[in-house]
Amino acid sequence: MSTKMITAKVFRYNPSVDQEPYYQSYQVPLDPGMTAMDILDHIYEKLDGTLAYYDHAACALGICAKCLGKVNGKGGLLCQILVDGDVVLDPVNQDRVIKDLVVGH
Amino acid sequence: MDSTIIDTDVLVIGGGGAGFRAAIEARAQGVKVVLASKGPLARSGASPMAGADFTLDGKSLHELGFPGDPNDSYEKFFSDIVTQGFYLNNQKMIDQYIRGAKSGLKDLLDWGLKVIFSEQRAIFTSGTGIMDAMLKRAREVGVQLLEDVMVIDLLTKDGKVVGALALEIGSGKLIRFRTKAVVVASGGWHKAYFPTTGMRDLSGEGIAMAHRAGADIGNMEFITFACNIPLSPPLWRGSIVTYIIFTLCGGELTNSQGEAFLKKYDPYVVETACFMEWNKSILSWASAREVRDGKGSPNGGVYLGIGDQSWEEYELKALQFFGSWKYKAMDLSEMARTLREGRLIEVGPAVEYFDGGITVNERFETPVEGLFAAGECTMGMFGANRICSAITEMVVQGTDAGRHAGEYAKKEISSPEPDAETFAAMEDQAIRPLERGEGIRPAPLRKEIQVMAHKHLGPIRTAESLKDFMRFLETVQSEKLPDLAAGSSGRSYNKEWVEALELPNMVHLLQMAAKSALFRTESRGVHYREDYPTTNNEDWCWESRVTKQGDSYDIRKEPLTVTSATPLKDSLPYLEMVRKMMEAHSEIGGHH
Repeated sequence: MSTKMITAKVFRYNPSVDQEPYYQSYQVPLDPGMTAMDILDHIYEKLDGTLAYYDHAACALGICAKCLGKVNGKGGLLCQILVDGDVVLDPVNQDRVIKDLVVGH
Repeated sequence: MDSTIIDTDVLVIGGGGAGFRAAIEARAQGVKVVLASKGPLARSGASPMAGADFTLDGKSLHELGFPGDPNDSYEKFFSDIVTQGFYLNNQKMIDQYIRGAKSGLKDLLDWGLKVIFSEQRAIFTSGTGIMDAMLKRAREVGVQLLEDVMVIDLLTKDGKVVGALALEIGSGKLIRFRTKAVVVASGGWHKAYFPTTGMRDLSGEGIAMAHRAGADIGNMEFITFACNIPLSPPLWRGSIVTYIIFTLCGGELTNSQGEAFLKKYDPYVVETACFMEWNKSILSWASAREVRDGKGSPNGGVYLGIGDQSWEEYELKALQFFGSWKYKAMDLSEMARTLREGRLIEVGPAVEYFDGGITVNERFETPVEGLFAAGECTMGMFGANRICSAITEMVVQGTDAGRHAGEYAKKEISSPEPDAETFAAMEDQAIRPLERGEGIRPAPLRKEIQVMAHKHLGPIRTAESLKDFMRFLETVQSEKLPDLAAGSSGRSYNKEWVEALELPNMVHLLQMAAKSALFRTESRGVHYREDYPTTNNEDWCWESRVTKQGDSYDIRKEPLTVTSATPLKDSLPYLEMVRKMMEAHSEIGGHH
């Protein structure tokens, strides 16, 4: 197991406060087999509790399909996309953002 | 921000199978029904995560057109469930389970459920398939469905439940429910543990709020751990895939020294445990012992490999369930490659099912008028050890709880109005973590609690370790919970706010479970006390119950509900009693 540090650039937007969306960068230790969801969990638990991504009722195992997002511009389930280096995380649809990576219907 | 007001006859709390089934049946009584799902519709709670098997007696299954086993009977199935539960089951609940299973399954098939394969006492389907069938049915009959709505607490008046306060997580709006009846179907509280096999929404507020409102809870010490759950890499962590593969294909478990540690146990017990769903209790216990003895893996587990089988043989069996090495959206090809190349997967016990919970009568009522409960959040059906399916439990209990709640709401013409002041006070309390600003962040504390819970209230317990854990929880309760604060005061999708509301419930249930585990000075089913390694039928054929008394909680023994199977009197060392219970099984084959 080798841990390396990566930069995760995450889309941030709170429509009730922010004029414009912006990106925030975080330094995250990456272990083999970590997914985009694991990166977000690390940021939320250790670095920035204000970050929002749909996980309050997520399965993190590719079953509920609620963690749709974009990893380096490519769409998919955040819990099933492996990360192997610096990464950019975006919501699946910027027009329907409730907060950060969470989108409404 | 103003709260929304929703009036209904029946409020169902929980978006898993028990909740949906209760809502459908309550609606059939001609009353208004609202279902609050904490997560996505039909993708919330433990149900969609299930493998999933639906168990019933082989004769009924045969009568439904499956092979089943025509030689099976009510009596044989009943007796097997009682011995698997070490006689601690509520026998009236077993009766209800067996009698309701056939029509419960028939309904699901009528609503479009697809069966993958069947055996003597079970059909195998998928949890998502069950939920999709129920969602379609609930929509057809006109249940009002709310998504991403977390119920925070119940409101009672004159001994009756009359309302509930909830949070719409996306918008951050509070909802005041005014209702005549409530069905709690909130499932387990997997989120109190790390690692876990459960959905992240399962934080136990349903059981905790029923307890606060005056319902009893019991048998909280009985917590089932699934064995062979991957602990690494993070991509696989918590998945039941390896659990299912081991059940279908077998394999070998080794410790960090390469020893096939199951070989040191009674071969009959190991063989039965590997084939049947006894695996959860016995293999989790055996794996935890290796970890305790310093022979565990880096993440507190053991190693799983295919053993001396040929890969071709192994793969053929696995593909029955995991066609083209996929499971839902999970690509299993890397896992298959690992096993094929003879490499090992780090696996271990992870929390899977809570045998204890809210106590209910035959109508699934609690002592609080109008408050019903169904499914995993109740106690009693499986006693000290669950082998048969919790999917059947959620269906049959959901059906009856929903019907009784619907009938109750229909008769209850002049229900007391909930007090607006009480609602306002509950709202003030709910928004406190948002307004506190500086304080304790919920997520790191939650993680610390989860890891401690697995360590101290896992498959192996001792008095010393339980007391340490209880002291830790007391400190958390008195010094940390009152200061929980969200880092941002924005209301929409505020994860820290949600967690600040969840944490006190998890801490409460862990306290009750630790207290119950310390109280039960014997080993039985999934409760193993290193310092009391005997199944003591002379002193412990009793339920444990925890009742709220003012500001504290009293624990006591409560007599078992017995109809036909008289509990045993003799006491035996744990594994000998396990063998005796296994040997008591009828001749009916299959995994149950």
